[in-house]
Amino acid sequence: MSDTRPQGQPDEAMVDLLIKQVTEGLSPDEQRALDVLDSETASAYARDLERAAAAVTLAGSAPVAGATEQPLPAGLARALERQASEHFASLDKVADIAAARVGAAARVGAADKARASAIEPRSHRYGGYGWLAAAACLVLAIFGWQRSPAPQVAPVAEVPTPSPPIAQPLPPEPPTAAEERTALLAKSDSLKIPLAATKDPAAAGMSGDVVWDPVTQRGFLHFAGLAANDPAVHQYQIWIFDAGRDKRYPVDGGVFDVPANAAEVVIPIRATLMVRKPAAFAVTVEKPGGVVVSGREHVVALGATG
Amino acid sequence: MRHGLSYNTVESVRARDPNKLTRQPMSPSMLQRIASGDSAAVRECIDQYGPLVWSIARRLSRTPSDAEDATQEIFLDIWRSAGRFDASQGSDKVFIAMIARRRLIDRLRKSSAEPPMDPVEALETIAWADPGTAAETSIEAEQATRALAELRPEQRQVLELGLLHGLSQSEIATRLSMPLGTVKSFMRRGLIKVRENMNVDAAGVPARV
Repeated sequence: MSDTRPQGQPDEAMVDLLIKQVTEGLSPDEQRALDVLDSETASAYARDLERAAAAVTLAGSAPVAGATEQPLPAGLARALERQASEHFASLDKVADIAAARVGAAARVGAADKARASAIEPRSHRYGGYGWLAAAACLVLAIFGWQRSPAPQVAPVAEVPTPSPPIAQPLPPEPPTAAEERTALLAKSDSLKIPLAATKDPAAAGMSGDVVWDPVTQRGFLHFAGLAANDPAVHQYQIWIFDAGRDKRYPVDGGVFDVPANAAEVVIPIRATLMVRKPAAFAVTVEKPGGVVVSGREHVVALGATG
Repeated sequence: MRHGLSYNTVESVRARDPNKLTRQPMSPSMLQRIASGDSAAVRECIDQYGPLVWSIARRLSRTPSDAEDATQEIFLDIWRSAGRFDASQGSDKVFIAMIARRRLIDRLRKSSAEPPMDPVEALETIAWADPGTAAETSIEAEQATRALAELRPEQRQVLELGLLHGLSQSEIATRLSMPLGTVKSFMRRGLIKVRENMNVDAAGVPARV
């Protein structure tokens, strides 16, 4: 029997899967079934369906005549602004570190032009971080993560504007995650929570702890003995259980990798939401990039406060 | 005297005239400004789209607290994804609604508790905007509204429950006492109808898929 579908038109089974994907999500089995089908056709069609679903959502969300939209709760609006500020500031810090190092390298090479653009002042902008982030990737790749097994963002001293075009010393190195953890540990408000390994094979022989400061919402995961991961296959993800929130939805603390032959590792915890009352911390194995809600199939470490 | 029109005003003007549906990227859009780190654009985005995201999140979340968390996650996704916005592929409003839906579906699917919604009788009845009002929202909302108007009421209801209230096809089948196959068929026809409307340009020629 010949296939009479127009070119580029997926078959009915694929359409059903794609519709389910954009309306309610797919189970792992369904996702695998979709993956083996024509991916190019599927992705183009899925994009169209997703736009259609979004358009219907907009049509259903449009205020009817005479009605007004319900505004964001004031507290939530403030939280969003704070979150945005922190998000872009963290990108700026990465970019600043790269800019400082690129700028210093440029000075050594008498490349004044490059230096000038690297330290271009920012006024009302969070920062033109696009190329700087790219530079950060390059610099970090060159430096080979020498100072820490995981990416970290740390304050960097203001780069002085050099008037004479001569080689100048590098700006002070930012503190390592281990140094920052030590400083945090010294604060009276901070909590230190021991982590216990589960029976997951990846955690065999693992020991560690979490240091968390409820005031600044900063923290560090510190451990040894966790199996190295292949970031293309899976990553570790940190979770913070907040007694003030639904326990089904712990706060995402960020993903990280464990390099081969790592001894002690310190990872900054990046809570995506405000943690009011930290009750427990957990580490799971998830797909690359992490997940929004963990299925908790692979919990490798747990630690509870008090 | 003001010269020029804001992005949204231009969208509305174009949306009101179906003969002028061709898209022309306007630059820089709010999302493009966010991608370049413009803090004013970030605040504008929260002011302008916060109520929309909040409205979608409340419908597709189990509790107000979940909706607050989801809204924060959605905006974080927006900051991260703003650089991928392509004005030639749709309005910033649709881009944001897509991000919101993705995040909320992910949260709903992975939550293991009972179905999130109240019995169907208790569900808020959606007052679909008429095309004129929808045009004020976005060109895509207007196209969707026109497509929905051509569906049978029970088909519209299936789309409403699935897309606006986050019910799965199985849940819709149970709640409407309707065979699952019928629900799938209604959902498929409805979404394809909307998709087709959105892919037809001003000359009535289907756009390339």
